[in-house]
Amino acid sequence: MTSKTICIAQEGPANALALNKDNSQVVIAGRNVFKIFILLEDKFEEACNLRVGKNLNLNFSCNDVAWNLNDDHILATAATNGAVVVWNLNKQSRSKQEHVFIDHKRTVNKVSFHMTEPMWLISGSQDGTMKCFDLRIKEAIKTFYSNTESVRDVQFCPQQPHTFAAVSENGQVQQWDMRKPDRFFQHFTAHSGPIFACDWHPEATWLATASRDKTIKVWDLSGKPSCDYAIHTIASVGRIKWRPQKKYHIASCALVVDCSINVWDIRRPYIPFASFNEHKDVPTGVAWRGNPQSFLSTSRDCTLYHHIFDDAIRPASKANPQSVALGLKSEIIYACKVKYEPATTARQLSSIMRKPLVTNDDTFCMASSVMHKFTLNNCQPSWFKIAAEGYLLSGNLNDICDHNARVAISFGKTTLGIAWQVLKIMYGDPLELLLKMSPMAPKEDIVNTSNIISGATKNSGMEQSNASKQSSHEHDTKSLQGENPTGAVSGGDDETETETDAPENPNITGPSTNLATVLPRRPLLSDVPSTSRGDFIFGETEYEPVSLEHPSESRHIVMRMEDDEWTKELQKEAFPLRHEIKDRSPPPEQFPNHPTELGEDPTSVIIEDQPQLVVPLLPKPLLFDFTSVILEALEYHAAVRDVQTTVSMLIALGEKRKNLMLPIALQEHWILEYLDLLGKFKLWHIATQIIQLAWIPSISQLNQQSTLIHVSCAACTKQLQRSAWLCDHCHTSEHALCSICNQVVRGMYVWCQGCAHGGHINHMREWFNGNRQCPAGCGHLCEYN
Amino acid sequence: MFEAHSINAEHKDLIHDIAYDYYGERMATCSSDQFVKVWDEDEHGNWHLTASWKAHSGSVWKVTWAHPEFGQVLATCSFDRTAAVWEEIVGEGSGPEARGSKHWIKRTNLVDSRTSVTDVKFAPKTLGLLLATCSADGFIRIYEAPDIMNLSQWTLQHDINCKLSCSCLTWNPSLSRLHSPMIAVGSDDSNPLLGAKIFIYEYSESSRRWVKAETLSSITDAVYDIAFAPNLGRNFHTLAIATKDVRIVTLKPIQDNMQTGVSHFETNIVAQFDDHYCTVWRVSWNFMGTILASSGDDGCVRLWKDNYINHWKCISVLKGDGTPVQGAETPVLATPPNSSTPAQQTPSTTRTISITTVTAEKPTLTVMCSNKWQPPVIKGRFSKSVWLGNPSEPTPPPLPFIAKK
Repeated sequence: MTSKTICIAQEGPANALALNKDNSQVVIAGRNVFKIFILLEDKFEEACNLRVGKNLNLNFSCNDVAWNLNDDHILATAATNGAVVVWNLNKQSRSKQEHVFIDHKRTVNKVSFHMTEPMWLISGSQDGTMKCFDLRIKEAIKTFYSNTESVRDVQFCPQQPHTFAAVSENGQVQQWDMRKPDRFFQHFTAHSGPIFACDWHPEATWLATASRDKTIKVWDLSGKPSCDYAIHTIASVGRIKWRPQKKYHIASCALVVDCSINVWDIRRPYIPFASFNEHKDVPTGVAWRGNPQSFLSTSRDCTLYHHIFDDAIRPASKANPQSVALGLKSEIIYACKVKYEPATTARQLSSIMRKPLVTNDDTFCMASSVMHKFTLNNCQPSWFKIAAEGYLLSGNLNDICDHNARVAISFGKTTLGIAWQVLKIMYGDPLELLLKMSPMAPKEDIVNTSNIISGATKNSGMEQSNASKQSSHEHDTKSLQGENPTGAVSGGDDETETETDAPENPNITGPSTNLATVLPRRPLLSDVPSTSRGDFIFGETEYEPVSLEHPSESRHIVMRMEDDEWTKELQKEAFPLRHEIKDRSPPPEQFPNHPTELGEDPTSVIIEDQPQLVVPLLPKPLLFDFTSVILEALEYHAAVRDVQTTVSMLIALGEKRKNLMLPIALQEHWILEYLDLLGKFKLWHIATQIIQLAWIPSISQLNQQSTLIHVSCAACTKQLQRSAWLCDHCHTSEHALCSICNQVVRGMYVWCQGCAHGGHINHMREWFNGNRQCPAGCGHLCEYN
Repeated sequence: MFEAHSINAEHKDLIHDIAYDYYGERMATCSSDQFVKVWDEDEHGNWHLTASWKAHSGSVWKVTWAHPEFGQVLATCSFDRTAAVWEEIVGEGSGPEARGSKHWIKRTNLVDSRTSVTDVKFAPKTLGLLLATCSADGFIRIYEAPDIMNLSQWTLQHDINCKLSCSCLTWNPSLSRLHSPMIAVGSDDSNPLLGAKIFIYEYSESSRRWVKAETLSSITDAVYDIAFAPNLGRNFHTLAIATKDVRIVTLKPIQDNMQTGVSHFETNIVAQFDDHYCTVWRVSWNFMGTILASSGDDGCVRLWKDNYINHWKCISVLKGDGTPVQGAETPVLATPPNSSTPAQQTPSTTRTISITTVTAEKPTLTVMCSNKWQPPVIKGRFSKSVWLGNPSEPTPPPLPFIAKK
């Protein structure tokens, strides 16, 4: 008994193979090969080459071969020339050819021995007949006319030895009784294409048929033929063989395309139970070695294989048994294979019922999936959608930030709300800030904070006393205030103007205390404003921008203020903030640049003076970089996959985003991703809004694509090429006639979408001033507006 | 938390893939029974079967939707060595039932593979109508429909041999033009000696071909599924991997060799979970890429989420048979999914309770299945069932849902 898959190559492909009755030898037969091998433990040993002799005629070219079921020395072959040849291995001569039956007119496709009468041989031929030969009297004893083009396979029924089944190329299965050679006793159409093979089940009354229609069908012929199982394979099926001792298993090989030999469990007709992929070309024959664990196969690749079932590939084990998908609405769909390890209840049941345990083979065909949908039961509307629809994207930055912060906080996204508020503080209009601030904040807070800050920082300002700081602070605010009014007048963008103005209007001030409070408080906007400790804590980070140590910074502040169209009262505090923002974008680099700016501005000088005052007040170094903060914020939100916030902030920043020096490609990336998400939620209006607000050409062009409307002629339905009023194809302008003046409309053609009539816009307008019905008289009540 | 509804898919064999469309309003399932089914969601969130057809002559492994701007288009791939593109068309016949009736027609059959086609995915829409397939013989094939109005013409643009049997593939969904088109493939070859099982290919604009940009050498076990997370504006790529465990890998482009046209990546395994204690079959991201779902042989879906420091953590465990599982905090139930667990172990709070739909029927899905190897066929295509009481009891059979057409 061989225990491993072995292979031997031949000089030509074999068309068929057959095993002797004790499965110890195999014969392979083809056009150019006809050999017998002894099956040894780990190799094939050639026992006999039958293709010898001086006259190698077509009788040696075999379509099929059969080994006598009783006599080990008798073989029969079906030759391509229509001969049925009997071989006697016991012949002394070199040529073992014993007898040639030349009865068929065309190729013989199949020879098959009778189960119980070993001297009976039946053949099926391309000429549409089957002939039964008796080897003893060396002649065809019976001829069966199938009335079909050709018989592809013929096989005696193991249960009723006097009957046999024949399949033919017209898709018919016929059942014949040997005793009634004049007519089949049963026939039915089994397939829509030629049937290439059939095989009787060794035990059941099943006949399996294989067809070019890529199916294998199993017919129960105990009564009226019924198709009990159908296997859909991937290619035309050329050969089939039931697997011994496995009731539901059948091996198949394809005629084309598929080089593998598949063993199917007919109860699971979709995926092979086992697959053997050793052959490099399509297999031509399969023969089980009498047991379910090994079989032999020949192939067009000239090899003969001995397969061991354990070496099979199990396609089902590689098949993915599960799937999971996440929907947009926190919905999860999950499908998984039903496990058949019986659950405890089932186990109890089976123990009660004494059911046998299912075997491995059986679990194979118990393949089914359950699919479940998991939904969040507290189904909240998606925050993404709310934010997308709720966020304000254009308008005053302050309003945007306020609004968006409100939207975020009302949904419980406090941090997001704070982020928006911080954005407002950094870039927003200080006037509103001021108004919102409670004017009551105690001065002490400020002092405290400034103290602490100064303590923490390394600057020279540290040495100064609290009082001095405070005074300096006030000073600072005053000077800033002075500038504000002009800034407000001039409007945001003109920095130079405001700066120049500033010196001229020094005296417009709000209460210095108020301003002072505002300053420290800014950071706290989002917070509860009451406690000084809180102020400090929050202040630390947010003060930084406020503290003005360097002259350059203070200048920047002023400039910023102008940018943002400050209102007069707010100026002091707001100014510092804004200034910084502007500078921020290129904090380190801009420093060198500043001198030039300053030089241009007469005011710059004045501002430079101020810094000195400021320094004592808030001695922090120039950490003021809003840009870096903003950049970080934008990138942070992108990194946590909140591209919505990133893009919304970017858009809200308006022109100020230029200072961020963000690569355009990155901005584009963010916006595209956000647009994609909006698309998923069908928020087209938001997407369109963003596209319209976009400053990147590749994005703003997005809704200009595919806006071309093609029109076709109403008469000939050909597309209008050159003009809208003349069809190049049928040379009419009928489709372009005005319903009122009956002239061709060469300009704008207005038409009713309801009835498709229309004409010159002037005529239509006139008409519908006095009428409601269509001018063409079609009776349609057109709507013109 | 989550409530479970069973959907009777009526597939006659294993369901291998489920895919939501772009909007999450349609769903396609495919199965070994060679059928593809399309489901539509109604306004109440119930799924209805709207189309079902035999798509292939072998197991259908994967199904995927094209971006809706190309129409209602599906691609499938199969054991029968083909991939197919399907389009839903609206009938224009004159008959009352023909008009407006929708059906799916096969637009093309891609027959280049010599072995089972194991995965098929459409490229991000910015690349046009591109389709990538991978097959068991280790070939990745990239097809393009040059005319998006004509889905029956596809040209094979590239075939890439990655030498190991491929099991899964994913496109990098990034819409940025800074990121070249990128595909990751995984191999289910189980021999760890053959080395890495995940390859990253990138399209090189200069050489006009796909080049291998990276090999994830840390993963040598069979890979069953792979998925890029939605990029959403990040400068690195996140890849989820289903192998013997769940892994999340980030790929950060290294800028230095821009001149060669081949980018290199700094790869980091940011998470690795063996909570399934067995083969992980699938990974799937939500639309934001914030939540990863993984499913394994333990029959559970686990949801993973990262916190602000990119630390990934299990946030939920869902049992595939619909029975509730405790939230992430409780240790994973070590019992096999279908063996019932003590009632106390699984709090009933995980299940919504609706008195009207309580059913007292005892026969459970599990039991029925073990008695009869095809799941019970219940008329009505979708059924929702919520039940009261001992949550460890297996799911009662779904109540029939009468769909009004």
